[in-house]
Amino acid sequence: MRCVRIWFEKKGDVRYISHLDLMRTMTRAIRRSKIPLWYTEGFNPHPYMTFVLPLSLGMESENDAMDIRVEGEITNREVKSALSGVMPDGITVTCVTEPRLDPKFISFASFDIAFYTAESAEQIEERIETMLSGKELIVQKLGKKGHKKVYKDIDLLPHVKSYEIKEKNGVPVLSLVLPAGSTTNINPSLLADEIIKEKNEDDYYIIKRKQLFDKDMKAFE
Amino acid sequence: MANKEVEKILPLVQKPGRYIGGELNSVIKDKSKVNLRYAFCFPDSYEIGMSHLGMKILYSIANDHDDIWCERVFAPWHDMEAEMRKHNIPLYGLESGDPIKDFDLIGFTLMYELSFSNVLNMLDLAGLPVKAADRHSLTPIVVGGGPCVCNPEPMAEFFDVFSLGEGEEMYEPFFELLKECKKNKSTKEEFLRRVAKLDGFYVPSLYDVEYNDDKTIKAVVPKDGAPQKVTKQVVSDFDKVKYPEKFVVPYIDVVHDRVVHEILRGCIRGCRFCQAGFIYRPIREKSPDTINDQCRGLCDVTGYDEISLSSLSTSDYTKLEPLLDKLLSWTIPEKINIALPSLRVDNFSDELMEKLNKVRRSGLTFAPEAGTQRLRDAINKNVTEDEVLRTSRKAFEGGWTAVKLYFMLGLPTETFDDVAGIADLAQKVVDEFYKNPNKPKGKGVQVSISVASFVPKPFTPFQWEPQDTREMLLEKQAHLLSCVKTRKVNVSYHKVDISFLEGVFARGDRKLSKVILYAWEHGCKFDGWDDSFKFDVWMEAFEKCGIDPLFYTSRKREFEEILPWDHLDYGIRKEFLINENKKAHESVTTPHCRIKCAGCGANKINGGKCDAMRKNMV
Repeated sequence: MRCVRIWFEKKGDVRYISHLDLMRTMTRAIRRSKIPLWYTEGFNPHPYMTFVLPLSLGMESENDAMDIRVEGEITNREVKSALSGVMPDGITVTCVTEPRLDPKFISFASFDIAFYTAESAEQIEERIETMLSGKELIVQKLGKKGHKKVYKDIDLLPHVKSYEIKEKNGVPVLSLVLPAGSTTNINPSLLADEIIKEKNEDDYYIIKRKQLFDKDMKAFE
Repeated sequence: MANKEVEKILPLVQKPGRYIGGELNSVIKDKSKVNLRYAFCFPDSYEIGMSHLGMKILYSIANDHDDIWCERVFAPWHDMEAEMRKHNIPLYGLESGDPIKDFDLIGFTLMYELSFSNVLNMLDLAGLPVKAADRHSLTPIVVGGGPCVCNPEPMAEFFDVFSLGEGEEMYEPFFELLKECKKNKSTKEEFLRRVAKLDGFYVPSLYDVEYNDDKTIKAVVPKDGAPQKVTKQVVSDFDKVKYPEKFVVPYIDVVHDRVVHEILRGCIRGCRFCQAGFIYRPIREKSPDTINDQCRGLCDVTGYDEISLSSLSTSDYTKLEPLLDKLLSWTIPEKINIALPSLRVDNFSDELMEKLNKVRRSGLTFAPEAGTQRLRDAINKNVTEDEVLRTSRKAFEGGWTAVKLYFMLGLPTETFDDVAGIADLAQKVVDEFYKNPNKPKGKGVQVSISVASFVPKPFTPFQWEPQDTREMLLEKQAHLLSCVKTRKVNVSYHKVDISFLEGVFARGDRKLSKVILYAWEHGCKFDGWDDSFKFDVWMEAFEKCGIDPLFYTSRKREFEEILPWDHLDYGIRKEFLINENKKAHESVTTPHCRIKCAGCGANKINGGKCDAMRKNMV
């Protein structure tokens, strides 16, 4: 039995697949691929599978990864070619590697946010400048207090370290890095919602998670 | 495939995965290369519809035609519907994202009466008039199928055509005719006249219904050459019938998310309350090799880890043990679980239980249906208390600690003693657990009894019987609760209002179309869902339309009365049903079809063949 890390992309309509649904989808894909999976030895045997950092519903991702355990003599290359043929549309396996870093060391993630609004890249940039030039940027985050769901105020300002706005195919795209992982995790939609707040209701944005990093901003691998 | 407009609203709704399509094995075609576009609509949520076997079968058969593209459509949940209406997005097919109002054919499967309002809502959401008479062009033609079509009269105003029977056999001639009429630019009227002459197709607008002064039916008169009786069509060679090689694998969690195989169609038992037990006759079995090969293929292309062997009574499949042996030879190494959802208590063997235990243990459910032997005899549920207890004992010895029992309240001839009998039987099952010397330590037993309210249905021996009123059912529910003395028995029951409405439509006539229209116009939809069900609006609809719902539910019908579905032929002879009804009132049972053919008549729609009588099947 050994652990392999499967790197994949999730793009297009499949971004509406939740984390739990993605687990089920991946389990089935792996079963179809006939990769010799290792099963837990308990009363209800099930395959071992863990995603390095679950993705929010509605987000696309690049360089996403999950770990599975396989049995017998199967190479990473064989795992990749077995999986390539069985993935549903929108999920592509890009690479299969040995896991090098424990997912608990993930500290940051980079994102691209594409804005589908009437505004140009300059106008959005201006808006962000203003938002970030203040003393604080308080947004409401849905959190839990016991079993109750409550809104908590959080200040985004200290978390937004650097950002960049560029036009890609005529669409303004905001690229930024935010804290991610098990200690502090900032969902970029908190900022994106703030940016298109007070806009007309047909406006929307699509977030893509590009890359995961450790605390020293070294790419997670 | 979500189009740009849909994409905008998806972040605003719950479970957007319901609305995107693109699932593994869904069929995408080049629309410029197809002649006929077909929207297969299931008038309930994605999670329910995607669990429906009929849709999987018909989707694959329709899409096997290169020139036909069949897409799936489900009822959008309340939040999605609101966004769609707000943004003027018409109902679309999940595969293409195109509006279904531009399709040639819209098919609805009518699985239960409480989905009727959703049919109207979906037509409206598509941008089509809900009444058939207001849709003038040839396409889209709106067709209904499924079990409720055995009495489609309450929905007669909304459908162009109903298809009676098993779609596997009926698609071909229908598609050909529609393609021909489309090519020749025929009128809708011409198409309807011609389709009415095809076997099994019922065009309600070609039948005039006349009423007596007492509101019962005087006559149903066909016109324009439509046949006097429309006969249900059946698959003759069930072993060779097309079964999907692929299932669409949903991304999101649906109710039944697994490989399903229908191993047996029809039922030998003849329980008198059970509509499915009569309308799916005659009995036809599939061979173990066919089932085994098809299941294996389906597991390979889907990656599912569970197979459900489905039928009305799975343990009546004559070759169940050889079938399980074949399946288990590969499902055990591949860690695939086998579920047998419809087992009977009277032929649940040790061997069977041992086999079921091989991979993973699922729950055990049995259906005694009634609490006393007298009532079980009256409904012809040929199960004895000893059998129930023996099976429970076996299950407990096999390590199970929870058993679920299904019952009904409001059965014809039922008394309060029969109701108390349900609690007694549940108590005896609990006692069986404690008699077991090897019972697991530190674990109690849980006996769940689920009590449905009986609704008399067409084509059953009880089609003439009055249905218990809501008040009577509530009283019986209260009595049952007062008879349960232990917390080891947990009781759940159906809402009586929902059963009442179901009863009205099950045996309703055409006059109910206006009630359905009124209720839908006043916000009724998803009536099968407790949270969405608006009983007061339905009652208001009856009142405004001047219709007494009790006429349909609480009235004892005479055998001579012309019933709204009498011009539809499901093979079952009326004399047989009358005879069964009389025997019910005498609590006399009828042996099942393999012991002795009861002469129901269903074999005549299958060229005289019925597998229950074939020697080699026994």
